[in-house]
Amino acid sequence: MSYIIVVCILGLLGIGFYCLLITRNLLKLVVALQVLVKGAMLAVLFAGCLVDNMEVAQSMALTIIVADTIVAVIGLAMAIQVRQITNTSNIRSISTLRK
Amino acid sequence: MQNNLLLWLLFTPMISSVLVYVVGRFFAPHDDEKPNKTVWLCVAGIIATFIPFILASINILNGKTVSTTIGDVTLVFDGISMLVSLTVLLLGLAVILFSIDYMAAEHSEEKFYGLLMILITSIIGLSTSTDLFNIYIWFELMAVSTYSLVAFYRNRATSLEAGIKYLTQSAAGSIFIILSIAMIFGTTGKISMHEIPALIASSKRIMIAAGACFITGYGIKCAFVPMHFWLPDAHSQAPSGVSAMLSGIVIETGLVALLRSLSALKPAAASFGMIFLIIGALNMLIGNLGALRQSEVKRMFAFSSISHMGYIALGIGFVLTFPESTASANGVFFHVFNHAMMKGLAFLAAGAIVFNLKQAKGDHSPLLVTELDGVSQKYPWFALLLSVAVLALGGLPPLSGFISKWQIFAGGALSKNPWALVLIVFAGINSVLSLGYYAPLVNRMYRHQPSQTVLSGVPKYSKTMLLSLVLLGIFVVLLGLVPMLVSNFTGSASATLLNMFQ
Repeated sequence: MSYIIVVCILGLLGIGFYCLLITRNLLKLVVALQVLVKGAMLAVLFAGCLVDNMEVAQSMALTIIVADTIVAVIGLAMAIQVRQITNTSNIRSISTLRK
Repeated sequence: MQNNLLLWLLFTPMISSVLVYVVGRFFAPHDDEKPNKTVWLCVAGIIATFIPFILASINILNGKTVSTTIGDVTLVFDGISMLVSLTVLLLGLAVILFSIDYMAAEHSEEKFYGLLMILITSIIGLSTSTDLFNIYIWFELMAVSTYSLVAFYRNRATSLEAGIKYLTQSAAGSIFIILSIAMIFGTTGKISMHEIPALIASSKRIMIAAGACFITGYGIKCAFVPMHFWLPDAHSQAPSGVSAMLSGIVIETGLVALLRSLSALKPAAASFGMIFLIIGALNMLIGNLGALRQSEVKRMFAFSSISHMGYIALGIGFVLTFPESTASANGVFFHVFNHAMMKGLAFLAAGAIVFNLKQAKGDHSPLLVTELDGVSQKYPWFALLLSVAVLALGGLPPLSGFISKWQIFAGGALSKNPWALVLIVFAGINSVLSLGYYAPLVNRMYRHQPSQTVLSGVPKYSKTMLLSLVLLGIFVVLLGLVPMLVSNFTGSASATLLNMFQ
């Protein structure tokens, strides 16, 4: 059972980081971050299972959900604003600062 | 009483942030020309926060403990909290005074000031945390407020680009921090930094893995090379007041969070010390080389912040690696305070020039180095204060930057380790190298004929803007001449650091 959870954690983290590196779409970028956080959250819950302290693990997971949702909301707000200004969600359309 | 002090220290700016936003949004009429009057609530909030801060500091300096427990969460006001709180309150006051006229023409000023107060609350809260997860939460609160502040000019594509880069990289960093907390919690069943070291000492692999994740996660937030790519964009595109806060205290708070978290893994402190030394050297070099090739003033200062994080990381490396170099800790915290004052002054003085040359005429383009030509002839005070800031950042005596760098280097030299001496020489060369981009700024302001941009600038001196610059300027000059003015604060912070890793 433990191995399955570890594989799930690594899988979510792998998919999240892969998407974060390859995607150029701002909305997909926010989704990638969400997938990553779910992997990390599963790791926290798994840790709670290992030490038989699920109360603390669950409260940490709930707090992470709140923090993560706020980050996602701000990310989406920025993505919508970019779309309104440039008519596209492609990150390359606003990539001008690197010199 | 002492429990209440810490609660008041946190609640005063927190309540102010809500008040500023609600009053500014619903009760103060918006005028595009004049500043929103609710900003004075913000100033009052900061000044009110100084009262519990001073009382708590007196207790600490008298050897008493100031702490409070809410449920399972314990907050402790120690030497590091005292220094960080002093820095953020002074810099926050200067930034708010500066922004009164600077932000007057912007929409949603109340959001700006509300977010700024949340930022200040989160920094004070983070510095008082004693468990790994609590630090992470305060850090997320700080990050969320800074994402919105960086992308404050939401109708400008460059501002949004900087905000998105910052958000993405910072959120990715948070994943590493959560993973590290999970590893430690899964091994020890604890998240309190005082309980973990004894329980984790036998799990060396976990300590190294968790430490590496902490360094990666918080390293992104405090712009350690090679995780610094977001910083030049974010710091140059934000409003000048926010740039001052980001460079002056936010990245340093990342370092405080990292040190607090690593203290839970103190049996492996020496290994982390080596990493800090390597990161310090890289930061100094990459930051200075990056700054040398910049044509925009704020972007140059942003790269300079990367190099200054290098000096601070180097000092931490000396303390953690060499037992004889504990004196560097004093220099580290003195440099944290000095850097906040120097970089705050540099960004705000550059912001004042941008305001007069461009922003007052509705031009939001960045200030180029060439546009500083002859600024001293039209804006002598701004030119003087910007010169003081950059020369202090370059480490010229008798300004404050020289003293703190000297303390870091002298502490490192006490180890008598040949590698430490090589690093000190390397840091010295980097300090001289930084004058390669600071000195031409002064030269342009004083020895060149005024540029067309300067000639067409608005001859407008805002009293509050000048007051904020003079406040920071006094600290930069005075601390160079009388460094012992803050020695109680830096000494107490360094004692706390050494205690954390003992």
